[in-house]
Amino acid sequence: MSTVELDHDLDLAELRELVGAIAEEPDRWRPLVRPDAVERHFEQLVRDDHVDVWVISWANGNDTGFHDHDVSRGAVAVVEGELVEERLVVGGPPRVRRHAAGAVFDFDASHVHRMRQDAARPAVSIHAYSPPLWRMGAYVVGPDGTLQRRSISYAEELRPVEAVG
Amino acid sequence: MPGIDVHQHLWPEPLLRALSRRTQPPMLVRHRDGWALRLRGEPEAPLDLGDHDPDRRAALVRADGLDRAFVAPSLPLGIELLPAAEAEPLLAAYHEGVAALPDEFGAWAAVGLDQPDPEGLAGLLDDGLVGACLSADALDGPEGFDRLGAVLEALDRRGAPLFVHPGPAPGADVERLPGWWGALTAYVASMQTAWHAFSVWGRPAHPGLRVCFAMLAGLAPLQRERVVARGGPAISDPDVFLDVSSYGGRAVDAVLREVGVDRLVEGSDRPVVGVTDLGLGDAVRTALRERNPARLLSPTTTEVPA
Repeated sequence: MSTVELDHDLDLAELRELVGAIAEEPDRWRPLVRPDAVERHFEQLVRDDHVDVWVISWANGNDTGFHDHDVSRGAVAVVEGELVEERLVVGGPPRVRRHAAGAVFDFDASHVHRMRQDAARPAVSIHAYSPPLWRMGAYVVGPDGTLQRRSISYAEELRPVEAVG
Repeated sequence: MPGIDVHQHLWPEPLLRALSRRTQPPMLVRHRDGWALRLRGEPEAPLDLGDHDPDRRAALVRADGLDRAFVAPSLPLGIELLPAAEAEPLLAAYHEGVAALPDEFGAWAAVGLDQPDPEGLAGLLDDGLVGACLSADALDGPEGFDRLGAVLEALDRRGAPLFVHPGPAPGADVERLPGWWGALTAYVASMQTAWHAFSVWGRPAHPGLRVCFAMLAGLAPLQRERVVARGGPAISDPDVFLDVSSYGGRAVDAVLREVGVDRLVEGSDRPVVGVTDLGLGDAVRTALRERNPARLLSPTTTEVPA
């Protein structure tokens, strides 16, 4: 289904189904994996009117920082290694979930999270967003403890300057 | 990766000389207080030769934080539309002149439309021109793609890109219309037409051709929902690029939402307009100036998000 143009934005179940289907087609994503990546490495598999799909290679210590996806919802299939997802909790420690290879998870557009990789073994994940990513929010805690949101282009997250080689 | 501006204009010395020798528009005339440009159906306009000084312009490329700029023929002069015998010396002067520009410059080849010459174009590509520039008006429908099919084929065969740029605005009531009128009406309409025409007639005939539309194709990508609503094709074309000339952060961000960041390239239209800071962040800036132009201009650096 991933090569067929859809005529609508995908809901969470469709996004999960999409990343799950692509995860089972390693011929599509394995050539795009960078096992030697030091920073997160991003390759775009699809971008059409309704969805964009990325293959992300993760090295030990890579960390997205807390962010949101503006109006896009998304789903992730972990195909190698393990990723840690943290959801921001006001006044408390982040809620932590670990997603090992084979796991598929989703998040609505209202979701603020952070993804990181803390194992020695590199991780690879397939990400789909609908509608396609455009603006994102990047969060930092200011010196006075207040939460600050910076509006960024999705390029800042998925086409970072460091990844341009 | 080098920083690239895919869209500048610079009239090199041999072209200035050839235009000054003409007795019919397009031509340059010398007055006591300097040079002026005379185009058909338009009042004479003063010309600042400093705008076309290669060393000064090379310094501006560096000042813009870029390594290289690609000079496109100034299609609104109408040189490409002249009868072949008249166009040929001017086109030759342009090609001779751009070949001698400082290292900061590359150039797009010009194509005479009276008798398009694919073999001549192949020779120019051999000599180092990056691709060919054609007017949006010349590619506004099936006849244009038929007529220029061999030219596009010559580009496609060599993996060289096509640059689509507005042609001369139709004769306007220059006494009553402001100077920007054509750039916001005829140019926008012709670029949008060429954008749709390429998807219908250009792409099927030339599946491998990489294309760049100037001025965000007149914002044609924003018509996407309307295209689909009216039964048009819902295709994404990763080999079609858009330069951002004369637009700012809001329009560029809107088009980026439609086509993604990978298909936008820096194109300033200097000296008509200068480089703008889009305010969209370093990642967008790097994509537009480095990563994407490399993919547009050179087939050897392809990393095509499908």
